[in-house]
Amino acid sequence: MKRFYLFGFLLLMGFDTLAQISFKYAGTQALPVAASIEWVLRVFGQPWVYGAVIGYVGAFFTWMALLKHAPIGPAFAASHLEVVSVMLLSIWLFEEHLNTARVLGAIAIIAGIVCLGMAESREHVPEPAEA
Amino acid sequence: MMSVAGSISPLVAGLWLLNIVLDTGGQLAFKAAAGDEAAGDGLARWKHMASRPWLWLGVASYVVEFLVWIAFLSLIPLSEGVLLGSINIVAIMVAGRFLFGEKLTRLRVAGILLVTLGVVIVGVGG
Repeated sequence: MKRFYLFGFLLLMGFDTLAQISFKYAGTQALPVAASIEWVLRVFGQPWVYGAVIGYVGAFFTWMALLKHAPIGPAFAASHLEVVSVMLLSIWLFEEHLNTARVLGAIAIIAGIVCLGMAESREHVPEPAEA
Repeated sequence: MMSVAGSISPLVAGLWLLNIVLDTGGQLAFKAAAGDEAAGDGLARWKHMASRPWLWLGVASYVVEFLVWIAFLSLIPLSEGVLLGSINIVAIMVAGRFLFGEKLTRLRVAGILLVTLGVVIVGVGG
């Protein structure tokens, strides 16, 4: 069962990561930003925006399935820790550089997410396993 | 208000704030739709929710947020954008505290402060 949860958490992170990477590609291809129908049409006129939709829908259903079975604390943390995978992938895909501020900020944010996940775990004592 | 320095332009800051408002507003609208005790069960519950504005307000917020987030990310590096977006976690918890009286335990306060600190570091230092 533990392996099932782990798979679920990784799948959730994967969908969230796909969504963010797709958002970035979609936005870049639709530049320049304008509050106009032309910009919206540029966004929906290229394939990446649908990657973002798939990522969102996939993450939603994975999250619902996880909430039914998995402990809430780790599920909460997994649903937000895609910041790590997205940061690492953006170095590779978009040739971004991690400066000191981003690394320090990421460490604080991750520590905060872990605290919030632990807080959820404490408040929702898991029910006895059914099977 | 903290002053946002560095690489963040007024447009990026505006989109960031709009994203917070839409994300938090959308989640609260869904909470209001789902938490309506007069709604009943099953299909009747969905019909009840669909006949009242909360569900649709939530959907509309998310649709607009989708576009706002794309615009936001197209203007700054993705690694910076996802970190700055983490503030939504804090906003929704603080809103839950004020509107639904949800408890803020010590561990939760620590988490909120750490995430906020991280976002400030990224916002000021790029």
